[in-house]
Amino acid sequence: MAEPRYRLGVDVGGTHTDLVLNEVSTGRLRIEKLPSSPANPSLAVLEGMGRLLSGGVAADEIGFFAHGTTVTTNALLEGKGAKVGLLINAGYRGICEVQTQARDEGNPFDHLFRRAPHIAPPSLTREIPGRIDYAGAELEPLDADAVRRAAAGLAAEGVASFAVCFLFSFMNDAHERAAAALIRDAVPGACVSLSSEVLPRIREWPRFSTTLVNAALVPVLARYIADLAAGLDDRAVTTRSRFLMQSNGGVMPLAANCESQTVHTLLSGPAGGVQGAAWLLGRRAGGRNIVTLDMGGTSCDIAFVQDGQPLEHAETLIAGRIVGVPALDVSTISAGGGSLARVSAAGLPVVGPDSAGADPGPACYGKGGALPAVTDADLVCGVLNPAYFLGGRMALDAAAARSAVQTHVAAPLGMAVEAAAAGICRVVNALMADEIRVQSARKGIDLAGFTLVPFGGAGPVHAAAVARDLGIPRVLVPASPGAFSALGLLCADVVHDYVRSELRALAGLPPARMEEVFAALEDRARAELAAEGLGAAETALLREADLRYAGQGYELRVPLDGIPCPLSDDGLAALEARFHQRHAQVHGHAAGDAAVEVVSYRLRAVVPMPKLADGGRAEAAAGAAAPYAKRRAVMADGAAVECDVWRRDALPLDRSLPGPLIVEQPDATTVAPPGWTARLLEDGNLELTDGAGR
Amino acid sequence: MDTGQGATVDPITVQILRNRIGSLMDEMHHHFFRSGYSTIVRESRDFSCVILDARGRLLVTPPMFFHATAYRYLVARVLELYGAEGLADGDVFICNHPYEGQMPHVPDMGVVMPVFDGDALVAFAGSIAHKADIGGTVPGSTWGQAQEIFQEGIVFPPVRLYRAGTYCRDIERTIRANSRHAETTLGDLRGQVAACGIGRDRLRQICGEYGADRLKAALTAMVEAAGAEFRAALRRLPDGEGEAEAFLDSDGIDYTKPVRLHVQVTVRDGRVSFDFTGCADQGRGPVNIREALVEVCCFQVLIGLIDPNLPYSDAARDAVEIVLREGSVVHPRAPAPCSSYMKTCMTVIDMLFEAMAPIVPGRAAAFSGGSGGGLTVDWHDGPRKVTNNQYEIYGSAYGGSAAGDGCSGTTVHLSNIYVTPIEIVETEFPCRVTRFELIPGSGGDGKHRGGLAMRREYALLQPAMVVFRGDRATQPSRGVAGGGPGRPSRFVVNPGRPDEREMPITTRVELDAGTTMLIEAAGGGGYGDPGERTAAARAADLREGYVAKG
Repeated sequence: MAEPRYRLGVDVGGTHTDLVLNEVSTGRLRIEKLPSSPANPSLAVLEGMGRLLSGGVAADEIGFFAHGTTVTTNALLEGKGAKVGLLINAGYRGICEVQTQARDEGNPFDHLFRRAPHIAPPSLTREIPGRIDYAGAELEPLDADAVRRAAAGLAAEGVASFAVCFLFSFMNDAHERAAAALIRDAVPGACVSLSSEVLPRIREWPRFSTTLVNAALVPVLARYIADLAAGLDDRAVTTRSRFLMQSNGGVMPLAANCESQTVHTLLSGPAGGVQGAAWLLGRRAGGRNIVTLDMGGTSCDIAFVQDGQPLEHAETLIAGRIVGVPALDVSTISAGGGSLARVSAAGLPVVGPDSAGADPGPACYGKGGALPAVTDADLVCGVLNPAYFLGGRMALDAAAARSAVQTHVAAPLGMAVEAAAAGICRVVNALMADEIRVQSARKGIDLAGFTLVPFGGAGPVHAAAVARDLGIPRVLVPASPGAFSALGLLCADVVHDYVRSELRALAGLPPARMEEVFAALEDRARAELAAEGLGAAETALLREADLRYAGQGYELRVPLDGIPCPLSDDGLAALEARFHQRHAQVHGHAAGDAAVEVVSYRLRAVVPMPKLADGGRAEAAAGAAAPYAKRRAVMADGAAVECDVWRRDALPLDRSLPGPLIVEQPDATTVAPPGWTARLLEDGNLELTDGAGR
Repeated sequence: MDTGQGATVDPITVQILRNRIGSLMDEMHHHFFRSGYSTIVRESRDFSCVILDARGRLLVTPPMFFHATAYRYLVARVLELYGAEGLADGDVFICNHPYEGQMPHVPDMGVVMPVFDGDALVAFAGSIAHKADIGGTVPGSTWGQAQEIFQEGIVFPPVRLYRAGTYCRDIERTIRANSRHAETTLGDLRGQVAACGIGRDRLRQICGEYGADRLKAALTAMVEAAGAEFRAALRRLPDGEGEAEAFLDSDGIDYTKPVRLHVQVTVRDGRVSFDFTGCADQGRGPVNIREALVEVCCFQVLIGLIDPNLPYSDAARDAVEIVLREGSVVHPRAPAPCSSYMKTCMTVIDMLFEAMAPIVPGRAAAFSGGSGGGLTVDWHDGPRKVTNNQYEIYGSAYGGSAAGDGCSGTTVHLSNIYVTPIEIVETEFPCRVTRFELIPGSGGDGKHRGGLAMRREYALLQPAMVVFRGDRATQPSRGVAGGGPGRPSRFVVNPGRPDEREMPITTRVELDAGTTMLIEAAGGGGYGDPGERTAAARAADLREGYVAKG
């Protein structure tokens, strides 16, 4: 494809919609930030584009459009999905009532526990005779009449989106496919989500739950895509290279099949930034291992990039619902700029989970918030500049911040106000460090050699302190921390994930059988990519197997890369050896003599896309490279120090500046405490190095 | 913050370390869960991992609460037997003894690892996990008709699995010789030791950062702080008294005789007293529970009624008095069997909610469906070779409450356990699940209806020995404040066939290939006068099939 003049990334977040326009030849970035339009998110997107276009960008010179949206996430959280009808095996309705039988996200002490409302309540569920057994053999034929009656009856109830969830459909999808055809005959234009297409994986409830979530969101996403595509057409954006960010850090074409793909967009919000970090910072020599710290207003998202690849997990809980498609493994904790501090009945300082949000926001916003938030503590510590928040577009009320910290934390603890503010920072920093520690241990990661990459408005303020707590000596602050998720959209490939379960002992499994299962997944991948107009030539097909010791209930994903195809006995032996090794790495022990089972086969199809070369390009400061002020600030350890205060665009290129110093830019503030040095790199990233690094 | 131990530590550091200990326990929990070998660990999550201070006190609420109160007895017994000076770095103790260390029942194996910094004992890492089989009369070790703990498996008082870092293969050999599923049992035990090792390593790291003295002072401070918070919450309760009684179906030996439980609750000036001396004499069968479990029931109810987010630490015990009569079902003498502890705990909790309803009316609730029961299937030879036992735990339902209808088809109270997926059951075992649904009308009527129980039906494709341990078949879940009772539980062999057999709810039976069996849990009780249930709620119940039509 010919190199376009511009590539555009658009990220719709909860409060802001960010647009990043990249001029390919110069690498220059133009950033637009405007308030999101939650009622119809495409409005803010199109308005932002209008601004870019009126600023002299020709619509037909935009050759690539990538979009991150929370439209499906929000619909799920707010219960605004479509009305869904469910077809399930006769006699098995209890699967959707009992679910996991546990209170997954619920407080175990709360006897008033309630589940999230049904996506398809019993009144919209129809039981269909027909049954497949564990080996894929038909025990009882599908009752086609029952399917027709169900489809017509549910359509009469106003159902336009159907979920078809039959037991063992991952072993044999004939009944689900037949049911889909019957439904489409009976209800022209119906959306049909099949559990064997959405997630052909063993364990019925996670599969059914994922399929139900998909069914609820197919019409939502389809409508959104149609609105957006029409809006782009109206503005004469001619490119067909239009993509949506997915939970797995890859993009999918706007033209993808929503019926099987919708559920892959649920966690696209946090994925953009992580993918951006992996591409822009993680692929460089010496920087392939990264922890991302996306600290926004209400929460902090933490993720890992190892050997240049963001880590993923196979199952997530969203709004109390299990979703079983691969997603970047982002863990969220209540530690944002708006997280509120208080003193507990035990006399200890607590930060979060309550948040001041955007409204009223921290006390210093002057919108009526009286309780101290982390941003207030940052302000009292002198780290934030009340006159230069959002580049000066919003004045902060320092007296209100001080009074909030004094009343609610300092006085009850009998501490000075600045010490209390520093204490709040220490507590919230430790929460982030704890989460990174827990997550790294869960994933079997040794943090030595990792770089911390903070973004979001509040990340760069706290990053150095978090890094020191973890013994991480290096922090990289990207050029535009506040619009980094949008930037990440320009760093992604087209990625489609496929899975299929077939539980068998690895010993005695003919390599030809494994080859056959993978080949079937590859055929499906090629067909879908072709339907999306993407060529097969440059597509990479990556195989993985989910393995476990016989009798274990959870699997580890083990890649097959480097194992020759078609698979041989030696290849299977190599796979088994990798599994033992991985088990020891993740769980601290392995059982070399225990039998290993294959549970699922996974395939990832990757079509490479052109990507942003750099995070932006640092340009030599216009005037003399010098700090514009000195300011006294209290660091998280409680020590007051005199800091040089720099504007980021005045930083000298490639020169180490000793901390303590503060770097201000419109969308973020970076702190380098004593013992750290700061250096602006040629690629536009700001590097902080801990001289006291352990 | 002065802890009276010399070293002082500021409240910010205490809070930071408290969060860190909490996340460390999460980390241990997750590690063990992911690496669990047996069905019990992997699907039921019947295990816990904790960090304790040098006196064996629990610091923060663990992810799995129902072992919370047992650890202190376990460490106390280790210290009693070996003395603090007898412990060495690298020691690992195991114990599954209900009367020496208060393990809930014999299949629950406790692991204790002292954590040293240099020569100083700083803390303990611990874990308790249910074992697939530890010997005894029946496969799976839990037997509803046991009459002594000796029938429930091989019993270890606290003994060393590692002595100063050296593995004692004698113990492994003993377990191997006694367990029907030695590989999974030993695999799980390895996982427990590994999880404790993570706890020990992280604590040492913290010692390196803060110093052992400051860490110890912080541990003491965090226990005391949580205790202070708990006492402050109790002081907000109004003074009052309440009383309730409830019955277990039987002790598993004499099926005709219900077992009485009784409590008298008194709240006065922020102190709560629970008097259980009215409970029946200890049962001949395994319905007895040890003190640690009575305590955990009391705290579960107090926390649920006052504020589900209230943190627990072992210092909370100081504000609560629990009076027990030795020789009773809630304070048995050795070697009374205890393997069916869960149903007794569930009924104690439901009874406590009823007793406390007048004192804390806003969060009052009717009886839950209790323990839905546990199924163990030991498959005999046939076309399919099976190495593991099939083990499943069923939930029941919550009772209706002052706030709304009870939740249907869920484990309740102390139990937060995953249903075994049908696709896993049928892939691993020679049986078919032929039905899985909620039972219409099984929730007690009331202003707020009890939750509905579930029903699961199986067809056996190979002969097997089946053990089922349930409750609430003859003593249904009671309604409260005028609500009606929930539907009782059932265990039926060959339902709907001429040879249909209604089985005792706690039973062991040999079944042939071709047999079907039906398990129905008990529904939750209703809350409030059924006359006050709204027409809309009744219409919704009909529309969704939650009550039988007609």
